[in-house]
Amino acid sequence: MLLSVRDLRMYYKTKMGYVKAVDGISFDLDQGESLGIVGESGCGKTSISMTILRLLPDNAEFKGGSVLFDMGNGPVDLVNLPESEMRKYRWRGISMIFQAAMNSLNPVYKVGDQIIEAIQNHFPDMPLDKARQKVAELFTLVGLDPSRMDQYPHQYSGGMKQRAVIAMALACDPKIIIADEPTTALDVIVQDRILKEIRKIQRKLNMAMIYISHDIAVIAEVSDKIAVMYAGKFVELADAVTIFKQPMHPYTYGLMHAFPSTVGEKTELVTIPGEPPNLLNPPKGCRFAPRCPKADSVCSEVEPEYRELEKNHFVACHHPVQPKEVVRFYAE
Amino acid sequence: MQNNDVVLKIENLRKYFPAERKIFGKVKLFVHAVDDVSFEIRRKESLALVGESGCGKTTTGRVLVGLEEPTSGRIVVEQEDVTPLLYDDESAAKRYVHETYVKKFAAMSDEQLKSVTGIDALYAQRFLDLGRNEAKFVDELLQNRRERVWQMRRRIQMIFQDPYESLNPRMTIFDIVAEPLNIHGVGNLKEREEMVAKMLADVGLTPPETFMFRFPHELSGGQRQRVAIARALILNPSFVVADEPTSMLDVSIRTGVMKLMMRLAEEHDMSYLYITHDLAVARYMSNDIAVMYLGKIVERGPTEEVLKNPLHPYTQALLAAVPIPDPEMKRGEPNIKGSVPRPINPPPRCRFFDRCPYAVKFCEDNDHPPLREVAPKHFVACYVVSGEAS
Repeated sequence: MLLSVRDLRMYYKTKMGYVKAVDGISFDLDQGESLGIVGESGCGKTSISMTILRLLPDNAEFKGGSVLFDMGNGPVDLVNLPESEMRKYRWRGISMIFQAAMNSLNPVYKVGDQIIEAIQNHFPDMPLDKARQKVAELFTLVGLDPSRMDQYPHQYSGGMKQRAVIAMALACDPKIIIADEPTTALDVIVQDRILKEIRKIQRKLNMAMIYISHDIAVIAEVSDKIAVMYAGKFVELADAVTIFKQPMHPYTYGLMHAFPSTVGEKTELVTIPGEPPNLLNPPKGCRFAPRCPKADSVCSEVEPEYRELEKNHFVACHHPVQPKEVVRFYAE
Repeated sequence: MQNNDVVLKIENLRKYFPAERKIFGKVKLFVHAVDDVSFEIRRKESLALVGESGCGKTTTGRVLVGLEEPTSGRIVVEQEDVTPLLYDDESAAKRYVHETYVKKFAAMSDEQLKSVTGIDALYAQRFLDLGRNEAKFVDELLQNRRERVWQMRRRIQMIFQDPYESLNPRMTIFDIVAEPLNIHGVGNLKEREEMVAKMLADVGLTPPETFMFRFPHELSGGQRQRVAIARALILNPSFVVADEPTSMLDVSIRTGVMKLMMRLAEEHDMSYLYITHDLAVARYMSNDIAVMYLGKIVERGPTEEVLKNPLHPYTQALLAAVPIPDPEMKRGEPNIKGSVPRPINPPPRCRFFDRCPYAVKFCEDNDHPPLREVAPKHFVACYVVSGEAS
């Protein structure tokens, strides 16, 4: 297994108490596999990637779990590595395409130079002309004209900046790439091109990918398997088709039916009542229980175990949705 | 057909922004943000204005509510030409009346004036009644201008995109929702309290007493957007411009706000213009859809019809680019070249020419194509689709 995350916990310490952003996350990722993590804002999906890469702010507290990463010479627990060792795994092992990529480029440096800097940081022995050649190759790979290497970010359009950031993430031939909402600020036509580019490169280089988004339609396009996250926890994980066709967690079911589509029959959209809980004080028992139409007294007392109900189909629910079952949400 | 009448009619609306600054000399470069846009919305019906960022959809909405002055064009609300009210400057309003009516009417004979149809008919009749007195006619159209501007603002309201920025953080929810009542002097304090409570209950913030004296920061995004909707509807407008009201909201909360808007439109006899970049949301929120590209409406028609059978090459590309929430469904390849140019003094040809996969010589040699009805109620601005170019 390339990456094996077990019971990962990371809380943010605030004046009011701990915000349980990542609260017992487990998943496996194989080479060439693409995992989509879908969840609403504030559910902790970005925090997972920051915890794996250990790029956490000062008020973050690691609370347990393991991140076993295998680059070919046996699994290493990234959690216990000293910072100097960790740097070897960042970018070369696992790299990241950040949210709002447009702002993650430095405006006063040429785009090509910024990528060269990343390469030379990790491969100090690489001569400059070789690094330049590498950047030119990366530009071609992501669909940018290599002559643009010597331009500044303001001379790029939004889509081009996004491509440059993808090129930067690929600079050190990572085994895993984490893409955090890389297309959220883009218009659909540009988004479409970037999504296809990411998927094409990921398949071509046989990389593993973790794609994080709030948009289930985007997740559907780029993922082999999908994890649905709610209030700091995975509530369901299965292959993409199963998640869409046979969701077992009521929250997943609600999401699928709340999402409008431009194709197919115009079906009635579901409204999930209430709001996601505050992670400072998540409800006891199942965190979705206060909004769940299937919840009973057990749900509000006992936290459901995250278990494999069917082969490769993980669900954390006391009353999973059965095939052909229609769940009715009452709102308004 | 009383409840099927036209609430809002826009004719040839243009809004140009200067694209350069000059101390001396005339500005020659303009961004054609909205360029010859026409549409109408009937009572209780809704039009979705869709397009990518920078296509002019928000500017169109802002002109309608009076946040921007139109460069030219006419806006008619419930049979009344409100365009003179949209200009801050009285002389600009005067110029508009002169250009639109006086010049035209003065050149007509009495018989011709009597046979004028449409919205013009009312004004032509008035022109005759005043004995063709141009000065009196202009004065009458502009009289009580300030007061009529207020009335117009009551009838047209707007809901903004970002509920985190559109509510004053120092005002309580009661003050925010009651402010339109204060401004327009509706009711006394007690009546206002009742109206606000009813409105809050209407938008699903129940019980209202628990929300009235809280501040925006104490509410979630979905609740804030409900407050914004309450504020927009408290004066019972006949028309609302909703600018991406759900794009900042999470999926599980979004449908609630969408349904709320539709329900309230139905209950309050209200029509709305729904501005969005999301075609899937537009599908649920509108009867009709208009697709904008670089300041022009390129396709317009009943929403389901346009989504099932898009005819303009841009609409086709836009639809093909929308991700489908179904991993087993494969969508087509958007057939479109390049990226969106800035509409600064665009050349006088089809705005989509440079990116169009079907463009022919005819498209290059002629002005931007007019909207033509190619199927019942389905309008497309494309020479190739309408068969004028082959």
